[in-house]
Amino acid sequence: MTHPDVEAQVDALLDGELAERDAAEVEAHLAACPACARFREDRLALRSAVRAELPRLDAPDVLRARVRAALRKEAGHQRGLLGRAGRWLALAASLAAVAIGSWQLGSMHGATSVLADEVIASHVRSLMPGHLSDVTSSDQHTVKPWFDGRLDFSPPVHDFAGRGFPLLGGRLDYLNGRPVAALVYGRRQHFVSVFLWPADRPSRGDPPLERRGYHVLHWATPEFTYWVTSDIGLAELTDFAGMLRLADSTAARAGSER
Amino acid sequence: MPHLNAAYGLARYLMRNDADADDVVQEAYLRALRYFGGFRGEEASRGRAWVLAIVRNTASTWRRRHRSDASATEFDETIHSEAAAADGPGSELARRDSEETLAKALDRLPPDLREVILLREIEGLSYKEIGDVTDVPIGTVMSRLSRARKRLQAALAVSGKER
Repeated sequence: MTHPDVEAQVDALLDGELAERDAAEVEAHLAACPACARFREDRLALRSAVRAELPRLDAPDVLRARVRAALRKEAGHQRGLLGRAGRWLALAASLAAVAIGSWQLGSMHGATSVLADEVIASHVRSLMPGHLSDVTSSDQHTVKPWFDGRLDFSPPVHDFAGRGFPLLGGRLDYLNGRPVAALVYGRRQHFVSVFLWPADRPSRGDPPLERRGYHVLHWATPEFTYWVTSDIGLAELTDFAGMLRLADSTAARAGSER
Repeated sequence: MPHLNAAYGLARYLMRNDADADDVVQEAYLRALRYFGGFRGEEASRGRAWVLAIVRNTASTWRRRHRSDASATEFDETIHSEAAAADGPGSELARRDSEETLAKALDRLPPDLREVILLREIEGLSYKEIGDVTDVPIGTVMSRLSRARKRLQAALAVSGKER
């Protein structure tokens, strides 16, 4: 026979809800009463079984994107278009434009221009719910190692939350015929995609391109080729690119000094 | 979106299917935004227990709204699991079946008992926080936990014997 009033006390003890003095009293009783001690053993077994069989569940990325979109729509951040839904339509339209408009590209800078369109298309695709990032984290020390083993290079990852461009995550993408790292940054309700892969040769880059409301910036350091795109204003995007280049060159210098 | 994993975990265990859990979570976050001004400033400090309370209330509204569907599903699940249990004495099946017994026992608990177990064992909330989330006094939290555990303990004993 266990002592029914002790049972409730044992639960509270195991749940960490007993004051120290009460806990000591219960412990003393358990030491002297085998039936109640067995009750505690059963409760401990139950607890570990519950924790083993009922895992913590993490929200799927699709749900995360869906809730984010719903909140954004609800909050009435309607910049020009009718919220997220309208933006999807605009995105779908611009995807179509990428396809239809590609015959015009011959008149521009050839390969660079094709790549710019690939960059925009990839950015647009990533905005579909659930596609924004494979690893969702604002911590560069989480995002950077995530790429290890997924790419044959290790991309530098910086966070600019302090300057209004928080790191949101990273994903793998495929551009220019190769797997590349894609980093996603937020800017108010907008997203900035940064694509990078090992550079063939350094380049001061091209003049900014604009296509259908997306700005595209491109440059290459001795190590990496960068493509950056977003629908934010060109001045803001240029500022962001400046931060990125500075952080990258600082990191590269620190690396070579080591 | 703060506490989305916790919100999803609670909704998923309460609703017992992905589609309803997703809908409840979205609805809960919209409610948080609509009626409480979202997650900035003062509201943010209420933290996880506050989000879980909204999820829990949204889930119970949802269940009331879809009661006939839900009871039909529960009925089917019971039939199905009994049929499956009677089906094969094969050791693999028996093992899998006994492993599932605790989860099934949790599913069979009435919602007010199921939620205290989830909030305590999975979310690790204190009695006080559970009381806030479920809007009952701490004494009620304790008695519900005790009843819920008694029933789970019985299920565990059965699965232990089968093994």
